[in-house]
Amino acid sequence: MMTFSMKRVNAIFLKDWKDMQRNGYVLITLALPLVFAAWIGRMGEGSTSLAAMPITFALVIAGAFVQAAMVAEEKEKNTLRGLLLSPASTMEILVGKSLLSGVSTLVIIIGSIFLADFKVPSLPLFAVSILLGLVTFLAIGTLLGLLSRTVMETSILGTPVMVVFGMAGIFKEMISNETIVAVIDYLPSEQLAAVWSGLENGSEVGSHLLVLTVWAVAAVAVTVVVYKKRRMD
Amino acid sequence: MENIIEVHNLVKSFGNKLALKDVDFSVRKGETIGFLGPSGSGKTTTIKILTAQLAPTAGDVRVFGKPVHSLKDPAEMKRIGILTDNSGLYDRLTVADNLGLYADLYGTERKRIVDALEMVNLTGEEKKPVQKLSKGMKQRVTLARAILHKPDLLFLDEPTSALDPANTRDIHEGLKELNRAGTTIFLTTHDMEEAESLCDRVAFLDDGEIRLFDTPQNLRMLQGRPTISVLLKDRRTVTVEPDADGAAAIARFMESGELLTIHSNEPTLGDLFVQMTGRKLA
Repeated sequence: MMTFSMKRVNAIFLKDWKDMQRNGYVLITLALPLVFAAWIGRMGEGSTSLAAMPITFALVIAGAFVQAAMVAEEKEKNTLRGLLLSPASTMEILVGKSLLSGVSTLVIIIGSIFLADFKVPSLPLFAVSILLGLVTFLAIGTLLGLLSRTVMETSILGTPVMVVFGMAGIFKEMISNETIVAVIDYLPSEQLAAVWSGLENGSEVGSHLLVLTVWAVAAVAVTVVVYKKRRMD
Repeated sequence: MENIIEVHNLVKSFGNKLALKDVDFSVRKGETIGFLGPSGSGKTTTIKILTAQLAPTAGDVRVFGKPVHSLKDPAEMKRIGILTDNSGLYDRLTVADNLGLYADLYGTERKRIVDALEMVNLTGEEKKPVQKLSKGMKQRVTLARAILHKPDLLFLDEPTSALDPANTRDIHEGLKELNRAGTTIFLTTHDMEEAESLCDRVAFLDDGEIRLFDTPQNLRMLQGRPTISVLLKDRRTVTVEPDADGAAAIARFMESGELLTIHSNEPTLGDLFVQMTGRKLA
């Protein structure tokens, strides 16, 4: 029988919150997108796409990288096993472990919006796109954490992921192969950029939100499957 | 008496290697059971199967009268406590924060933390970060975590392997108290003194098979009646049979004032294990 207790989710969240305050690696990593956003903001007169870059960067760094490090550390120090042998269910552990990274990412995104002077085009649809992106990147981060044996390994596994999911758009201009360009266009970062640009221009964004929804569902599904296989490693 | 654990024809294999071979046993409510065996004998695999961390390859395993996989239900999981060979702690958090997390996960009142820490001799260490604790203290925190919610059934994998004799003695007293209060205990150890001190029944596990399973007293009697050694004041040791002749000899030594000490030569569980399996426990 599937159970879900917010009390247990909250217990894991509070534990992570106390732990994060003493975790220098995570705190420094969380500050990077804000530094990047401040730099973009100081450049001034930037285009919307340039000002949006720190938001994608925040999703990749705070959402995926920090989440990966936190999950990998639970595995590395054998604390995930303790959670698994407690009454907490798979869903409670996954949600509890994602909650702090999720909240941190949202705070970093809000900070980045102000620092980079990003003009939010339509708040409700922008929020939906952020939520879909957040779920996707948190799931990717959890996946990276589960596939890594140590926190250090998340950097090795995570770097190509950051390049592909966070910076592929930058390299797109240098790529002539149409198939690769088409694939890049379907990546979450490109879909997010397309939504924000569409909201600004008044063009259709439904298809992009649909693609983002598919990414979110697929990423969560793969993460749950891998979690069930790798949790006791 | 009600059986808390029932295992019939349990087989576990990892690839081609058989880790457990047709294992059969049961544990009654209120018992303390010890699985004694050297590294690689299948002790940890048994605990992992009994706590639903590993699925059996074949056989029937029941805990609280239900198939073992029902332990994945949080309500059932709340009834057990587990100390594994690699239970981890959150290094950056304090002892109280580590235990507080588990009090919340189990729905246990936080004031139980004080009782659990008292049992493992860590009173007053609540605010210390775990990273500043010694290995033995960390092991005691993980033990406190396992007993925090007063489980009906407690699984302990080598519970005192990193502890000094004084702390081991205190932990044993605490476990006996927990057992008297109704907790059934299943422990693995390669420490024969621990098994003798704590266990109502002991299983000798060797190469994935239970060779013997009985009370420590009955196991020792398997070797027949023990002889009696008498140490005399001139440092001579005289060994006698436990019969009328032996009693007469001992009486003579006592009357003449020659006798210094007297003790029976019953084999230890460790001796018996070596005799039964040809392997040492370490």
